[in-house]
Amino acid sequence: MKILVTSAMSAMGRTVAGALKKHDVKLTDLTGGCTGGIVANNLNHDAETDRLVDGVEAIIHTGYEGQEGDASSLLDYYSRRTYNLLLAASNARVDRCIYISTLKLLQDYEENLTVTERWRSHPPSNDPALLACHIGELVCKEFARDRLIKVATLRLGWPIVTGQRSKATATGETAALATDDLATVLNAALGAKIEQWQDVHVQSPAPGQRYLLHAAQKLFSFPVPPPTPPGQPVARKGARR
Amino acid sequence: MKVLLLGGNGMLGPWVVKAMADRHQLRVTDVNEPRKGFKHEFRNLDASNLDAVLRAAEGMDCIVNLSVLRHDRKLAWDVSTRGNYNMMAAAVEHGIRRVVNTGPHFQLSGPQYEDWDFGLNPDMPPQPGTRLYALSKAMGQEICRVFAERHDLYVITLLYYNMKLPGSLAAPLEKQVNYHDDMTPFSLAWTDCGEAVRCAVEVELSKLPSRCETFHTFSDIPHDKFKSDKIQRVLGFRPRYHLEAMWNKGYKTT
Repeated sequence: MKILVTSAMSAMGRTVAGALKKHDVKLTDLTGGCTGGIVANNLNHDAETDRLVDGVEAIIHTGYEGQEGDASSLLDYYSRRTYNLLLAASNARVDRCIYISTLKLLQDYEENLTVTERWRSHPPSNDPALLACHIGELVCKEFARDRLIKVATLRLGWPIVTGQRSKATATGETAALATDDLATVLNAALGAKIEQWQDVHVQSPAPGQRYLLHAAQKLFSFPVPPPTPPGQPVARKGARR
Repeated sequence: MKVLLLGGNGMLGPWVVKAMADRHQLRVTDVNEPRKGFKHEFRNLDASNLDAVLRAAEGMDCIVNLSVLRHDRKLAWDVSTRGNYNMMAAAVEHGIRRVVNTGPHFQLSGPQYEDWDFGLNPDMPPQPGTRLYALSKAMGQEICRVFAERHDLYVITLLYYNMKLPGSLAAPLEKQVNYHDDMTPFSLAWTDCGEAVRCAVEVELSKLPSRCETFHTFSDIPHDKFKSDKIQRVLGFRPRYHLEAMWNKGYKTT
């Protein structure tokens, strides 16, 4: 599958790209300091952006911690440049966009609450990175609503811990995400049958985990449920909870 | 009240100035210079310039945002989205508790609503769709909503669609008026457009149901495609012109 990953110079972009070893990955970032095979592109409304998405089957658009800067530059990136990217992508008939967001948009909710994708996010006004990430979600959502491209927003847990799930668990953080789990979800999101629009919460399962993963379970079978103990009835897929 | 008007020299601005001139102290800003003889304080200002907006808001009691740029693929976002962030940052910085934002109806009621439904009201969740003008204004509005959720300030948003001259009922750029041939069911005379802003500037904040309220701003018309009762009920807005020559075949035009 030919995939375009944005903000490829960032740590998040590199983590995402590192999870896609089985795919033909094209990396891009804004023109300042692009190196090592990363296509420099400012995501303007121009032919360069059209060429960037030509032949691409899926875009992974790094929403949170993809870019750095002040509020103006972040809002510009996640509103205008995201609009340009998705318009070019929809004109090129790219099938889907995976938008990398963050569960920090829901961190105002106390840990005892059963926060799923059905809980409204509450972005802060004084954290431009989170506010801009939220705006990026909404821009993507409107492209999905107009049925121009499918969008799955993956809201990732934090901190992101390199390696296996056990390393995330060992941090003691209740919303931690191991990069192995992220890779599992990303690859599933690229291949799974998805709806026009969906929010998906993604963190590593852990004792006392903060966010429920109903959408990830339904769409990507993540996390793999533990084996049914002998003698217990097997849960039917899609059964009411 | 000391009122800062952002984008106060566009199409709507002069009507707002006229409605408020005798009641408030106005600081009008725009990228375009005002006409000769303009009697209020004026600053040449681009709403996308954060520092300039911060400076212009100093000492004000209220900010009214009339700025808009519809079609340019960069400027639309600069003005309508980032400009709103700048306005809200300035409100927080200077402790300004009242912000009046304006925009087009479809920043809330995009085609997925308008092409399908009736009884559309200003309290629906926004569905702007992907038209540049609608979406860039909708994202600006979302920034306003987030700030209202997080700070002790109020955002009153007035949505407009079709404006008509009170005399001929001509719409902008319209050469010929087709009376008795129906109209956009979200229309208002320019004079009343300005009056609506005045109502938003003057309403007691304690009368607002929440810190972020949106209003459909149009006249009393019978279509029931959109609802406009809220602005009359909450802001006390009373449109003077009812545009009946457009939608009532029995209404004489001469």
